[in-house]
Amino acid sequence: MGQGTPGGLNRQGLPGDRKPDGNDKKEKKFEPAAPPARVGRKQRKQKGPEAAARRPTVTPLTKCKLRLLKLERIKDYLLMEEEFVTNQERLKPQEEKAEEDRSKVDDLRGSPMSVGNLEELIDENHAIVSSSVGPEYYVGILSFVDKDQLEPGCAILMHNKVLSVVGLLQDEVDPMVSVMKVEKAPLESYADIGGLDAQIQEIKEAVELPLTHPELYEDIGIKPPKGVILYGEPGTGKTLLAKAVANSTSATFLRVVGSELIQKYLGDGPKLVRELFRVADDLSPSIVFIDEIDAVGTKRYEAHSGGEREIQRTMLELLNQLDGFDSRGDVKVILATNRIESLDPALLRPGRIDRKIEFPLPDIKTRRRIFQIHTSRMTLADDVNLEEFVMTKDEFSGADIKAICTEAGLLALRERRMKVTHTDFKKAKEKVMFKKKEGVPEGLYM
Amino acid sequence: MAPDPNSSGGTSSGSRNEANVKVPAKDPKKKDDKKDEDLSDEDLALKQQLELYVERVQDADPGLQKVALESMSSSSASPRIELSGEGELFSSGEIHSGRVQEIRTSTSSMTSVPKPLKFLRPHYGTLKAYYETMADSDLKFSFIRNLAGEIAQEYAKRQSEEGPIEDLMELVQQIVAFHMKHNAEPEAVDLLMEVEDLDLLVEHVDRTNFKRTCLYLTSSARYLPGPDDMLVLDIAYMIYMKFEEFTNALQIALFLDNVQQYIRQVFATCEDLQQKKQFCYILARHDGRIKDGVVVVVGVAFVLDEETAKDDDDREVLQDIINNAKLSEGYLNLARDIEVMEAKTPEDIYKAHLLDGRASAGASVDSARQNLAATFVNAFVNAGFGQDKLMTVPSDSSSGGASGNWLFKNKEHGKTSAAASLGMILLWDVDSGLAQIDKYFHSNDNHVIAGALLGVGIVNCSIKNDCDPALALLSDYVDKEDPSIRIGAIMGLGITYAGTGNEQLRYKLSSILNDAKAPPDVIAFTAISLGLIFVGSCNEEVAQAIIFALMDRNESELGEPLTRLLPLSLGLLYLGKQDSVEATAEVSKTFHEKIRKHTDMVLLSCAYAGTGNVLKVQHLLTQCSEHLDKSETHQGPAVLGIAMVAMAEELGLEMAIRSLEHLLQYGEQNIRRAVPLALGLLCISNPKVNVMDTLSRLSHDTDSEVAMAAVISLGLIGAGTNNARIAGMLRNLSSYYYKDASLLFCVRIAQGLVHLGKGLLTLNPYHSERFLLSPTALAGIITMLHACLDLKAIILGKYHYVLYFLVLAMQPRMLMTVDENLKPLSVPVRVGQAVDVVGQAGRPKTITGFQTHSTPVLLAAGDRAELATEKYIPLSPILEGFVILKENPDFREDN
Repeated sequence: MGQGTPGGLNRQGLPGDRKPDGNDKKEKKFEPAAPPARVGRKQRKQKGPEAAARRPTVTPLTKCKLRLLKLERIKDYLLMEEEFVTNQERLKPQEEKAEEDRSKVDDLRGSPMSVGNLEELIDENHAIVSSSVGPEYYVGILSFVDKDQLEPGCAILMHNKVLSVVGLLQDEVDPMVSVMKVEKAPLESYADIGGLDAQIQEIKEAVELPLTHPELYEDIGIKPPKGVILYGEPGTGKTLLAKAVANSTSATFLRVVGSELIQKYLGDGPKLVRELFRVADDLSPSIVFIDEIDAVGTKRYEAHSGGEREIQRTMLELLNQLDGFDSRGDVKVILATNRIESLDPALLRPGRIDRKIEFPLPDIKTRRRIFQIHTSRMTLADDVNLEEFVMTKDEFSGADIKAICTEAGLLALRERRMKVTHTDFKKAKEKVMFKKKEGVPEGLYM
Repeated sequence: MAPDPNSSGGTSSGSRNEANVKVPAKDPKKKDDKKDEDLSDEDLALKQQLELYVERVQDADPGLQKVALESMSSSSASPRIELSGEGELFSSGEIHSGRVQEIRTSTSSMTSVPKPLKFLRPHYGTLKAYYETMADSDLKFSFIRNLAGEIAQEYAKRQSEEGPIEDLMELVQQIVAFHMKHNAEPEAVDLLMEVEDLDLLVEHVDRTNFKRTCLYLTSSARYLPGPDDMLVLDIAYMIYMKFEEFTNALQIALFLDNVQQYIRQVFATCEDLQQKKQFCYILARHDGRIKDGVVVVVGVAFVLDEETAKDDDDREVLQDIINNAKLSEGYLNLARDIEVMEAKTPEDIYKAHLLDGRASAGASVDSARQNLAATFVNAFVNAGFGQDKLMTVPSDSSSGGASGNWLFKNKEHGKTSAAASLGMILLWDVDSGLAQIDKYFHSNDNHVIAGALLGVGIVNCSIKNDCDPALALLSDYVDKEDPSIRIGAIMGLGITYAGTGNEQLRYKLSSILNDAKAPPDVIAFTAISLGLIFVGSCNEEVAQAIIFALMDRNESELGEPLTRLLPLSLGLLYLGKQDSVEATAEVSKTFHEKIRKHTDMVLLSCAYAGTGNVLKVQHLLTQCSEHLDKSETHQGPAVLGIAMVAMAEELGLEMAIRSLEHLLQYGEQNIRRAVPLALGLLCISNPKVNVMDTLSRLSHDTDSEVAMAAVISLGLIGAGTNNARIAGMLRNLSSYYYKDASLLFCVRIAQGLVHLGKGLLTLNPYHSERFLLSPTALAGIITMLHACLDLKAIILGKYHYVLYFLVLAMQPRMLMTVDENLKPLSVPVRVGQAVDVVGQAGRPKTITGFQTHSTPVLLAAGDRAELATEKYIPLSPILEGFVILKENPDFREDN
């Protein structure tokens, strides 16, 4: 109630008018549904599937008996609810009736239904809708549509002839975003990372621990970091570490490549970023991993083309999502790049990205570990002395070492040998280094 | 795994690890599967390392021991310890780079904390043996916290095997001492709870940590089962007494309902007269009364004797406080300060001008109903202000006075409510109240006299005057011929003497119950008055009288709507008394089948009201899951019962709201009608948005009784809050239902409730930061709610004055600060949303989003206040109601 109704158009007045005075109930066939609790304006969805299904928050966050007792109390109530509901369902088999109702609703809806956009809610039963093709229409909303969920801008189903609102499309998540969710955990785990102990520790403190043990941060009295950036030379294991995080965490893991955020149409890029973070928020706790962030995050210069400006706008949206007006709850961000110096300083300021984790080229110890990891599954001849490669002065990255091992294996294969020999490794190393130094053979100018 | 190069053992363990690393990881996923016996290489390495450490601990060389123990503690400690303990460990200076690596390796298992401990378990015995022999060193502290958990398990094991526990207890002693010294009170309490020896706590608390400890104990008590909760509160009481925090101790004593011993002890131990005055304020809020120097706290009495107050004058002051003699004065003071003294008319509340023109057409409804509604609205809105624009208009304005006119705008029983509304307007102001009501006693209309009698009762509600005017005035009328006069007098007595356990009244009223010729409505009101007077007293004789009265009813009388008050009055006797109800519950099985189940539900729900007992909620919920034919009446009380039991604590409350949603979905009409009322009880004077939405939805329900109940409940949840949203909803409802007289009446009542006392009053029976439950207040509310279960026959019939039972729960929702001479004192206070700080270390903020006001101030539901000046020290840690301020001797003006 409360809204003024546009004159003439609608068949319903205020409900009170329709009441036959005094002796109600009997004669009345149709009782207008109660007005929705709220009309218009976007309702921020509470966490979880439904606001009503929310469980109360439990304090203190520290793990202690009180918390246990409180959680048990909630569990007791939930069990009672379950018992009650199952009892009721058993007592009242409603299947048939539901089936009947459903077919009736299907009849009313008609088929096919066209998909449109809700432009504006006029009152409880009327709205202005538009479809992708043409003009906007003033149409009725059928009574079985959940009006609490209707909000301007949402995708709706319309009857194919009279165009009345017959349903709404629940999942308004951009399909682009849903692809980003990592459904199958990658196989790489922390055990597959050679060295990088400090980096692993830092990323755990910044990303995993706040999601699993938020109470620790509360005890100390600090806000956990929001995100980290991983940077370092190519092949030093940035993406590998992110994979390992995805492997070990039970949080939702969304991965994007920076270039994916660049879209064809104006405004699509920022929209995608928004959607991405909204999904992350809905599915929280979650970790968002944006690889090759330099694709969108470069320093802002005078832009020469619309394309550049669009990329900058995408970055601005990213900035806002990282530390904007709305607080992000349990969403952690991992960025990765190998050109940190070209990134916009606003992106890296504390509060957005609190931790910068450098991935250096492996030192001797790490190199040994990496060799061990890669050779652990290879059949090596007895004469292989990995120490020689470990102790060499050349600069290897983790990826180089992997390439050497693979190359050595290939060489052995070429000669149909069952074991990889030391010479294989030597040749492989030269080959890899040769390629790396762009044609300059190793040791030529030393 | 990282090798430990600096210790001799480190190298060997390092090489072992390397050997392990070479084993290819077959399935990294397995790592997460803790139950899997097939450990991943990482875990295996960890396990071996730990085993090595265990061996090393027993080494003869102390240096080696130290290193091993440190390494172990770091890798087996929970991450919490690592974060907090790291600094401590590093600072010891002997820590070498190997340590750093150790910590790193252990952080890699942070996400799966219990794993190292699991591996350590087999070695627990050896470790413990070693621990006992270990010299007292700093090192063991870093290790202690891990052991605590193990000890709890070991204790449980030994308990089941009945093994000796002395050695364990010795360990516990040390651990508790350690925890208490290091700001880990919750952990100490948890451990002691596990080993069932909380008494130890009293020795270990000190000035710095007892508050946090007690806070933890008291909030745990809410969730502990059976006798444990009492035990925990006992300990908290002892600690408070030890540190002379008498006000807190008193609150716990009140919660435990331990009048004879604890409250007496508090009064006896405390030397400070000012402090005692503060006690009396708290007792007064909790419905304590003094009668001839005997303090009566809800039925149980103790003597305010020589010990308690040495001086006669002092004793008189204390009596005055506890008698609520100054309540009216304080309340009016608050009203003046907030500038709401101006009386309001019902039209000011309806705000019809905000609706579209149609509402004025509402005058077509029968005006007697309208006027009655206006009477109630007027009474609720101007409650306690001593003036209004309908009843107390100066009589010299026209002959006979407008008040007379208004009174006679009501018909028959309407006049009763109208006359009684004068009592509501003059609430707590005994002297002028009696003077103004007096004129109606000489009326020749029986309804008016009845109203005047009820009015006298209302004026005296929760006030105790030395000369007992209510008893003197009313008792004569109890035995009059006319039933309406009798009801007025009886109800008045019930309201005035609720919770006093007055013996004189017992004789008087019990005799009416036995009177076979008394009409059923008189019997019902007599029973309910007895129930109120002896609320929570478990008084055998009263119970007997009511039981007999119930048994005497024949079948048709049992069908009367008011008969539902009889089982309720029986229930009130056992309000919150849990098991004590059982004998009576047995007797109730012999009742007529029509009322048997109903009585059963009422007794159960009353006895466990405010306990949060989950099992009882479950029982009640099961009762509600049956689908019955219309004649059964017990499900309504069962639904209310769920609310009564679950309202004890926040979690239960919110979960109960969820459960009630299910009841709405599946329940039959009789359940659906009770659900809004239950919601109203759960959130009384606390307008939660989700409940508001639910009720707003229900207020448009097709079943008119559900809609009416929802409307009344909207009033209850907004009672005394002036909540604009509810007010707006009700306004819209008033135009929606403008043709339905009954619903409109309910809407008006709800509007009156929302503006209860112009927003200065609350109906919440919980006070002292939601810790204590005032039984009489609860009794008043549930009496009214039970009457609402049959709205059409009772509230919309001729017994609308049962709404006045709400007066029992009315309290100003204020913070009034007074100086040592009990004169109002205005000081700045910060008022904000209360934050749950239980179990948090340090001194966290207790309120958030605060504003600074100067007293007196209003406190909304969930608000907390704290002094914004250090010039004064409050004598009660909980700033609610009246608080005495003492000057701070250490205070110095800054400039």
